[in-house]
Amino acid sequence: MTARRTFVDLAVALVAIAGIALVLEVWTRVMSVPSYLLPAPSAVGARMAADAGLLAREGGVTLSEAAAGFVLGTSVAFVLATVMASSRPLERTLFPLAILVKLTPIVAIAPLFTLWFGFGTAPKVAIAALITFFPMLVNSFVGLRSADLQEVAFLETLGASGREIFRHLRVPSALPYLFSGARISLNLALIGAVIGEWTGADRGLGRVIFVANANLDLTILFGAVLVLAAIGIAANAFVGAAERRLLHWHPIAVAT
Amino acid sequence: MPVAIALHGVSAGYKGPVLRDINLEVGNEVVAIVGRSGSGKTTLLRLIAGLLEPTSGTVDLLGVAPAIARRRKRIGFVPQDARLHPWRTVRENVTLPLEVNRAARTNGHVSPDEWVARMGLSDAIDAYPHQLSGGMRQRVALARSLVIDPEVLLMDEPLASLDELTRDDLRGELLRLWEGQARSVVYVTHDIEEAVLLADRVVVIGGRPAAVRGEVRISLARPRTKAMRREPLFYNLVEAVRKHLE
Repeated sequence: MTARRTFVDLAVALVAIAGIALVLEVWTRVMSVPSYLLPAPSAVGARMAADAGLLAREGGVTLSEAAAGFVLGTSVAFVLATVMASSRPLERTLFPLAILVKLTPIVAIAPLFTLWFGFGTAPKVAIAALITFFPMLVNSFVGLRSADLQEVAFLETLGASGREIFRHLRVPSALPYLFSGARISLNLALIGAVIGEWTGADRGLGRVIFVANANLDLTILFGAVLVLAAIGIAANAFVGAAERRLLHWHPIAVAT
Repeated sequence: MPVAIALHGVSAGYKGPVLRDINLEVGNEVVAIVGRSGSGKTTLLRLIAGLLEPTSGTVDLLGVAPAIARRRKRIGFVPQDARLHPWRTVRENVTLPLEVNRAARTNGHVSPDEWVARMGLSDAIDAYPHQLSGGMRQRVALARSLVIDPEVLLMDEPLASLDELTRDDLRGELLRLWEGQARSVVYVTHDIEEAVLLADRVVVIGGRPAAVRGEVRISLARPRTKAMRREPLFYNLVEAVRKHLE
């Protein structure tokens, strides 16, 4: 049932993409659009095939930076949300700080990170972590607070410790929120890694795009963007699969 | 009769006072607390369970403070409209009380599976809560509160969110349960007839802040049956309770 639905969804998406590519192909040929303005999809495809090794290598770099940033940012966010959910005074102290982080324009501090951490992977991971932090913080916090109060009372009458209530009730109650936070954060992590590479790097898809932009080499630019999109789609599918598995008891998972 | 629950001159509240000067003793019997909606019945239950500290007076549970009785795992609690743990099957929900607070004496002499069977849920033992009806969920809530074999059973309008027929079935179930074993039960409800059918004593609370308005001893014989509701004595008792409420 689900396998068939996934197949149908995928087929529909592929038909839509093929349709858009076809329109662009015809348009660029009929109107003779120069390739430094908009390359024909066939040219992009040919370039992607020719440079498949490069795109895979640099895509791998970007993916690993984004993944490291995602893990770092969401872990810190979850720990902080746990602290905030357990104490109102700490919530009031920490939340303004979190908003400060959220409101800092990433583009503005990305060059600063390069200055601080150098041209290696560290500043990219830091930016990806920073950008994933806030959505995960808010989702974790709301999720941990969403535990049913009667169920909390039930566990308390059994003499369950705060830690037991956290493990048996608060964390599972938060799972739907954690997954929606993860879906938002994953894509942001990829954007964060690309921004990091943009401001100073010798590796990664962001670097490929930056160089292509300077050389008006639009076929590889679009190729890199498509690879980035493919990584994003794959990451989302991965989270979706994990969600269906872990949240099989949840009404939303049951409905889809 | 040994006193299991004793409240002496207890007042309590949240932002304002909710309960005033409550005196109540419960032995091995079923005591129903009846009052209008929002009169402080649930607050009274939270006090007994030690989930709320009184502003004055003392609460004693099995000779100790409620917090200590809780740590010793002596209290069973059935909430209204139990959500259960939706990520756990029926069996896993019923075994949950045995998994927490392991330091305390854990199991009763009846196994979780046996409790599930007694509640007529054997066919649904591997089902998840979202696959159950409201009545079935309340049966699970009852089973999981009894699995630790508690001396004190606190029930907060456990049937209020169910339809009348299911409610009637579960009342029968509760009567069967109580005939078998002596326990101290505090049963909160706003349903007067339900209180009279189930309880040995009905305590009426009311006013703002709420105080004990009166008490009716239910002289219906045990074992009770649903047919007793047609007896004249039953009507008289219901009227006696209603008089205290008005």
